[in-house]
Amino acid sequence: MDQHLVFLLFGLANGAIYAALALTLVVTYRSSGVINFATGGLAALGAYTYAFLRRGELLIPIPGLPKTVDLGSELTFWGAAAISVVITSLFGLVLYLAVFRPLRDVPPVGKAVASIGVMLLLSGLYTVRLGDIGITTEPILPVEPWKIAGANVTSDRVWFAIVILAITIALAASFKFTRFGLLTRAAAESEKGAYVSGIQPDRIAAVNWMISGAVAAVAGILIAPIVPLTPNLFTLLIVPALAAAVIGNFQRLLPAVIAGLAIGMVQSELTYLKGQHDWLPSSGRDEMLVLLLILIVLVVRAKPLPSRGVVVRPALGRAPRPRSILLPTVVGTALGAVGVLTLSGDWLIALISGFIFSVIGLSLVIVTGYAGQISLAQLTLAGVAGFAMGRLIDGGVPFPIAPVLAALIAAAIGVVVGLPALRIRGLPVAVVTLATAVAIEAFWFHNLDFVNVSGQDIDGPTILGIDLSARVGFEYPRKEFAFLCLAVLVIVAVGVAKLRTSRLGSQMLAVRANEKAAAGAGIPVVRVKIIAFAMGAFTAGLGGSMLSYFQANITFITFSVFLGLTVFATTYLAGITSVSGGVLSGVVGAGGLLAIGINEGLGLGGDLYPILSGIGLVTILMTQPEGIVGPFHNWLDARRRAKLADLQAVAVQALEGHLEPQEPVPGGDVVLQTRGVAVRYGGVVAVDGVDLDVREGTIVGLIGPNGAGKTTLLDAMSGFTRSTGTIELHGRDLSSLKPHQRVRAAMGRTFQHTELYEDLSVSENIVVGAAAAQGRDPKTLEETLELLGLSDVAEVPVAELSQGRRQLVSIGRALIGNPRVLLLDEPAGGLDSRESQWLGQRLRTLRDSGVTILLIDHDMHLVLNLCDDIYVLNFGKVIAHGVPAQIRADRTVAEAYLGSTHADQEVVS
Amino acid sequence: MTIAEPLAAKATPGNPVFVCDGVRAGYGKVNVVHQFDLEAAAGSVIAVLGPNGSGKTTLLTTLAGLLPAQAGTVSIDGQALKNGRPGIAARRGLVLVPDDRALFTGLTVEENLKAARGKHATTVDQAFDRFPALAKRRKINAGDLSGGEQQMLAVARALMQEPRVLLIDEMSMGLAPVIVEELMPMVRKIADETGAVVVLVEQHVQLALEVADRAMVLVHGAVVLDRPATELAKQTELLEAAYLGDVESVEAKAPAAE
Repeated sequence: MDQHLVFLLFGLANGAIYAALALTLVVTYRSSGVINFATGGLAALGAYTYAFLRRGELLIPIPGLPKTVDLGSELTFWGAAAISVVITSLFGLVLYLAVFRPLRDVPPVGKAVASIGVMLLLSGLYTVRLGDIGITTEPILPVEPWKIAGANVTSDRVWFAIVILAITIALAASFKFTRFGLLTRAAAESEKGAYVSGIQPDRIAAVNWMISGAVAAVAGILIAPIVPLTPNLFTLLIVPALAAAVIGNFQRLLPAVIAGLAIGMVQSELTYLKGQHDWLPSSGRDEMLVLLLILIVLVVRAKPLPSRGVVVRPALGRAPRPRSILLPTVVGTALGAVGVLTLSGDWLIALISGFIFSVIGLSLVIVTGYAGQISLAQLTLAGVAGFAMGRLIDGGVPFPIAPVLAALIAAAIGVVVGLPALRIRGLPVAVVTLATAVAIEAFWFHNLDFVNVSGQDIDGPTILGIDLSARVGFEYPRKEFAFLCLAVLVIVAVGVAKLRTSRLGSQMLAVRANEKAAAGAGIPVVRVKIIAFAMGAFTAGLGGSMLSYFQANITFITFSVFLGLTVFATTYLAGITSVSGGVLSGVVGAGGLLAIGINEGLGLGGDLYPILSGIGLVTILMTQPEGIVGPFHNWLDARRRAKLADLQAVAVQALEGHLEPQEPVPGGDVVLQTRGVAVRYGGVVAVDGVDLDVREGTIVGLIGPNGAGKTTLLDAMSGFTRSTGTIELHGRDLSSLKPHQRVRAAMGRTFQHTELYEDLSVSENIVVGAAAAQGRDPKTLEETLELLGLSDVAEVPVAELSQGRRQLVSIGRALIGNPRVLLLDEPAGGLDSRESQWLGQRLRTLRDSGVTILLIDHDMHLVLNLCDDIYVLNFGKVIAHGVPAQIRADRTVAEAYLGSTHADQEVVS
Repeated sequence: MTIAEPLAAKATPGNPVFVCDGVRAGYGKVNVVHQFDLEAAAGSVIAVLGPNGSGKTTLLTTLAGLLPAQAGTVSIDGQALKNGRPGIAARRGLVLVPDDRALFTGLTVEENLKAARGKHATTVDQAFDRFPALAKRRKINAGDLSGGEQQMLAVARALMQEPRVLLIDEMSMGLAPVIVEELMPMVRKIADETGAVVVLVEQHVQLALEVADRAMVLVHGAVVLDRPATELAKQTELLEAAYLGDVESVEAKAPAAE
């Protein structure tokens, strides 16, 4: 027991630093929606500033200025600590004002990427200014041997934990009892509520950033005497701190801090247990523990992080469709080949390294750019392939089987990395993939059971007697190897471009845009995500194999998580949503041509490059969501648009129609039938026992006041919400089917706010829906366009369309799957009365072609003139049913719409 | 500036407190409300009616600055507000009670009110005097209140800011008719007692017309009817036509208001 306690208490120091960082993570997230990956950088700033002040020097981390200013005399502890805390806290304020406040309308993912940029920037600054030599300081907290319950510990660790706990309790109390605390909690609950209450969320956030800075500084100062300071000391401590913050749900201070302390203690205990139990891995225990915690909390709970209910822009930029693949391929290959032939020495090394990192960048284009899953593990997956390939080569597997097999192994691991993303989405995916990357690195790449101390040697590739190695004797880098890498890059780039134009690519984009709508279009969301992770990991694996050949000896440093974050940042900077961006990422990345160009051309040290990328990333996020290649895409677009000018004129033409009332058609057999369908949310009954029949070849209207339960009923029918009762399509019970299976069973559906892909053409948008027709014949694109009258604008990007035609495109997406019944949720939303009548004409044509339609709409004029049969819903129940003339004459319907006059008259029912 | 000035302005007839001039509202490129013009004197209640999807909520969200206007200006006491700045609008006295209420659900009733108080003189106790039902629930989390109480709290929170213009969106959403009937006269009382202009978006048309001075009916983003509330209350057939989206017959029966 004593030994357990000794180790548990020993872990308090690490635990305290995790706890402090978790505390700052929660404070900043709660007030500004930023998961600040740069938190460790703030702690380091506090620690370094303190260490230098104690020597009588003021640290200036900005390159170009003197490194320190001599203050004449050494400062006391209190003086140095106070100044460091103030400086770090002000720096927190500057970060908020300069970076995160301008980004406040950007979704959390974008903000997190910006904070990765800041993290790289700070770590780059410390490396340039302070070097890698550890800096130590005098003890602050009393170091005495203590005996606690029979266990020996040094008191400084215990004190450290107590100080952090005390700060937390003080902070929690001030959030509870002061006016500022009240406003902070209010703004965290609802930003909209804050605005309408005259609270300024910006100011609240600014003060919270200052608090974060101060807490980080305190943690940094207190850890400085315990662990020597190095530039990256704090960087990856962010991962356990994230786990602790996740346990506090990014909202609650005390649980997060206690979790942080506990993680440190358990990690230390694991070290002891390793001595007792051989089966525990010799490396990676701590990281696996953290990963496990994150997985348990995030994946099992599977709730999004608390959001503050603000309207945000889409997370990622457009993913433009490559217009032509041949021309860029020929030009790009030629440019690459000329580069290989003309360059030599450092320049050629940079070119090859660029080729390789372009491949890894393209893997991010697949996973993140297309499928929308933020993966921070791609370089680690490249490493998986690298180390696996080393083993394969040792076992005698020849080139090119070894790298392909290694990439397949990476793909398998990639699927495992991606599994949690089946249950969670958005920012938590980034957190999980980061933790997984850290765990893989620690468990495998660092593990002496698997990898020698001297690293893994990789023999060069040879094929048909030709040596393609990067080095033979003193000849390095060899052009043969450069051509091999160029070939791999060209194949991968063409593949990723083809993917973008393929049906699978469209499905990935559909998943990225809106998972619910994607399932509504019949896309198997789970499978598409898994395929994306597998393809991304395979591509990263190819890159990793090439990198391993290039280096001839690989260690964990080659594939470090920190470098992986840099690769992610660079690819985001270059343009994570397009092939051109992925390729460019190799050129602009660290060690690429641009870096060496700046280095040689401007005579700047290579160390400055991370700093420049950090600044670049933040700037790009503010101005160009599509990355550096964005303006180029805009220019291409403008040219394309000029060509389409005539079509565009058609596209924006006012649509006017007049819908003549018609005798309702009786229709054929019942196609869709519900009996006793009910939906309950908690105690609220949203839909209450609805019986409804839809006959073949009719248009059935579902109307009712706001909140009557119409959309909920549609959700129940299409499987997006759990319901009781039966739903039958052509006599087949659908109750047990998932949404995309119902779509495939021929129930098409549109959504109130349909997400179209703005930069895709009308045809491309519609084709996404063809997945719905699996096992049945889809309608042809031409047929669909014809039916909806969209043929003449088929190639126009939907961004150019009028609202009326946009609605038709979303109907077309559901229609191309050849559904038996089409459920339309507010197809006339946002249309004026003439457009809406025009839409009615189109829907009638559709009905006459044999499509059965159930529609919700608020435009009563449209519904009454168009529908053959109408159901009126109020408070979740059918209050009227009949042909339009009956509904028009029904007093209960008029009352439901115009509201009650007086309650006493209402009580009759 | 002394307190006398705005009071004087309020008292002068023909000096509208709240002016909307050619406001055009929508999301991104999509236009929802084509044009909205309004001049309202202190203490008046304006009901904005219309079928679902006609743009009422978009309009109020835009007037409050939560959504940038696509065109036009909103002014209070003759001074135009900055477009798309909800914080500034609130501090200048234009306060929205949104349709989702946007309460701080994890905070107590009392804390909700205190958070909105700012530098104003209104105290939490004064708010409880106006809404005695809330006083009993002061220590309860806003999220645990009944629908009617939540709505009261949303209005009470808005009143803490001593608004010159109060925009109330769908106060009766999800509430039982009995509760709506209780809440509605409160709107009239607020306008009369505080001199605030109240713009009321409401589903319960007849109840709204009973407390309003003036009513505007929005259909497909355009104002199709604009007249004194008492007058419109009698023209049931016009109202029904508007609600059924029959713009042509509304236009035929009702020559454009002056």
